[in-house]
Amino acid sequence: MSTARPGSPAHRSDGTTHPTRGRVTRVRHAVAAALAAAAVLVASGCSGTAHPAEDKPAAYRLTDKTPAAARNVDSFTWSTYAEPTTIDYAYSFDFPPNQILANVCESLLRWNPDLTTSPNLAASFANPTPTTWVYQIRPGVSFHDGTALTADDVVASLRRNLDPATASVWANQYKNVKSIDKTGAMEVTVTLTTPDSTFNQYLAAGPGTVESAATLAKSGKDYGNPQTGVNCTGPFSFGSWTSGQSLTLKRFDGYWNPQLKAKSGEVKFVFLADATTRVNAFQSGEVDGGWMVPPNAYAQLGSTQAGTLYFGRNTTVADEVVANLKGPLGDPRVRQALLMAIDRKGIVKAGAGGVGEVADSLVTDNLWAGAPAATRDALLKDLPKYPYDPAKAKALAAEAGVNGQKVVIATSPLDSQTTIITQAVAQAATAIGLKPQIDSLSSEKYTTLFTDPAAREGIDLFLTFWYTSITDPLDMYASLQTGAFSNYGGWSNPAFDKAVDRAVGAYDPAEHAAANAEAQRTALKELPWLPLYTQPVSVFMGKRITGVQPSIAYLYHPWAAEIGAKG
Amino acid sequence: MTAAVARAGRVLRRLAGMAATLLVTSFLVFSSLFLAPGDPASFLIKGRSPGPGELAAIRRQYGFDEPFLLRYWHWLEGVLQGDFGRSYLFHQDVSSVIWSRLPSSLLLVGVSALMIAVFGIGSGIIGALRRGSRLDRSLMLLVTVGAAAPAFVAALMLRSLLGVRLGWFPTIGNGSGALDRLHHVILPAVALSVTFTALVTRVTRSAMLDELRRDHVEVALSRGTPRRTVIRRHVLRNALGPIVTVSALLVSGMLVSTAIVETAFGMSGVGSLLVQSVDQLDFQVVQAIVLLVVAAFVVVNALVDLVHPLIDPRMAAAGSAR
Repeated sequence: MSTARPGSPAHRSDGTTHPTRGRVTRVRHAVAAALAAAAVLVASGCSGTAHPAEDKPAAYRLTDKTPAAARNVDSFTWSTYAEPTTIDYAYSFDFPPNQILANVCESLLRWNPDLTTSPNLAASFANPTPTTWVYQIRPGVSFHDGTALTADDVVASLRRNLDPATASVWANQYKNVKSIDKTGAMEVTVTLTTPDSTFNQYLAAGPGTVESAATLAKSGKDYGNPQTGVNCTGPFSFGSWTSGQSLTLKRFDGYWNPQLKAKSGEVKFVFLADATTRVNAFQSGEVDGGWMVPPNAYAQLGSTQAGTLYFGRNTTVADEVVANLKGPLGDPRVRQALLMAIDRKGIVKAGAGGVGEVADSLVTDNLWAGAPAATRDALLKDLPKYPYDPAKAKALAAEAGVNGQKVVIATSPLDSQTTIITQAVAQAATAIGLKPQIDSLSSEKYTTLFTDPAAREGIDLFLTFWYTSITDPLDMYASLQTGAFSNYGGWSNPAFDKAVDRAVGAYDPAEHAAANAEAQRTALKELPWLPLYTQPVSVFMGKRITGVQPSIAYLYHPWAAEIGAKG
Repeated sequence: MTAAVARAGRVLRRLAGMAATLLVTSFLVFSSLFLAPGDPASFLIKGRSPGPGELAAIRRQYGFDEPFLLRYWHWLEGVLQGDFGRSYLFHQDVSSVIWSRLPSSLLLVGVSALMIAVFGIGSGIIGALRRGSRLDRSLMLLVTVGAAAPAFVAALMLRSLLGVRLGWFPTIGNGSGALDRLHHVILPAVALSVTFTALVTRVTRSAMLDELRRDHVEVALSRGTPRRTVIRRHVLRNALGPIVTVSALLVSGMLVSTAIVETAFGMSGVGSLLVQSVDQLDFQVVQAIVLLVVAAFVVVNALVDLVHPLIDPRMAAAGSAR
């Protein structure tokens, strides 16, 4: 269920992340042995260079689809903020690998830019019993090496997620899977141990990826690395990968789906870690485009002649995670008071360039698309709200008996956005009578907050940008169940757990939504995490190209296939 | 004992010392990483709830469950055979991860070293010879500014001015083909070498001034030996020792200082790889890079020691008398 990003600085949704940058060591006299330590230290020194956000909030609107491409283009260049470490789908759990892989490898189902799900490599599917899902594999699909897609490929691909030796990042999505079997030449049946309403949905994302069984067997441990690449069915095939520099995809002429046939002969992804470097490259035309524009460049790129900046649907919420429920934040009233004292409108304005909305829940509204329209409004109406009210917040905190207790807020000097949010949270803590202490960590250490309980010791709050990869609030709320890995504060509420379990087991949309809504209400009353704001997906395209559909679905949808030349 | 035998003995002792240093550092490097925060196994699990057997399986698969000394021994055994293990981040051999990034780093460091040598030593000599002149004062001012300019500031300025504004140089990537690569590496090399050039200028200037003040120089000059000859044969030659030592150490340390400019110019190299690997607890890669850099230091140190007697014969004499 934690397909939601760990949201560590290394995987931030806004792309303003830099890896920790080393400081120049000025070595005058050096003893060789001392350098061992120095070399390690170099990596822990860091420097962020970000410009303050523009004062004037940029007006923004969401775009469903940019103007369609007029004709094909030979190639275009795209930037990512980091190099993928591998493009093996079993380890692709991050913005850089997923936005590339989405164009090369396809899943059984497809996540569309409007956040709906439709058949893909599975031409159809059925759910004869609550614990059985049967997939009819699409005939006439071939892999990039020319071999035909069969049920064997699907079985081999999905089964990898069950194998502890693979240690797939999607193992959790498969936790209710008992078996995956070929039940016909072009039919695969998945048997669950218990009804799971999200399993089928996840097959539109990374967990449903299909690779050639022969290639998996042949490549072994090297599968998905720069030398071997992958062999899938997408509109682009793996071309070449120069480690550290670029990865090139080539149009696949044998692609089965005429609607998504690539309009570009080639896409070259270049890895540019530095946000300013990326913005410069957009301006100079050295790079044709990229997802995740740094918010402090919105104004600059919104008015440049070099291209156009678009915003699209997102499922990301910026949250302050309450990592310690044994300290002063253990009392829900203190968490409520803290949220009420945070100037979230101010954060959006100063930290996100005005592009965003204050979040009133831990998920975005568009995740409720599956709920029946009639019930949807009612479900959302009785949500507890926390409008900015420092006076009321102070009174509430006083009632809870907070006086001068210390709270530690972890941050990393990454960019202006992170810094501004952290300052605002610290200010709010002061306003309700707490004593905030900002703990600035290297991005290395910050990343470990999301993976290592030991690293979270002594830390009360930290920031995350959390997205969901299916159109279902359950993707978020299931990760706050008792004992869930991403339940970083060890929050536990039996009523909440029961509601989540009910939602997992409920296939009926109304029942599912009702259980989800109950989980959401409890979570918002208790605030194990403090929702701050939502931000649209951003994409910049140079003046040469157009055609993309801006949406978070770019992580699983072959978006690059739609990009071609401008008219 | 003839001089040749003495020299051979010295070289052998030197080599043995190098091996011992590398062995000790390899142990320090290997063990120091266990002091780093975070558990690589839980990092590999990422944001998931590991099943009961899963953590154990990962620990076994990557050998995290072996006793420390055994792990070190296995690692060292591999390293001696050129096998630095497998990067669990990149899913390929550490040697191919590093090898794919080493050439661009070496080019960057090489061009920077050339710049440091030419501009640093050159302006140091000019400054010393024309001490107190307007030229010397301007050079010293530049040096002060240069020594204080962090590489990232230099990189930002160069990039926005010569790259984005004037468009003379590309601002991203490594380029392909010899000329294009050179074109791509010039701005990063300037950014990287500014501080080091300033340091070498200072060292060169003061070493030259020290030598100029010596009695034998004054004697030679008063005897009417041409100034040019005196400077070349007595001043420069004697001053070269500290200059070479400092320059060589600066350059060999540059391999890890490249991270900032590599990031700023979107280049890939060992510096940014090291930062990334530390970030992601990719121990195998960190160990290999650190060992590589230490080896570079040790080798450069040894080379400097071996070259010194050639520059200054007095040192060879002192060496064999010891």
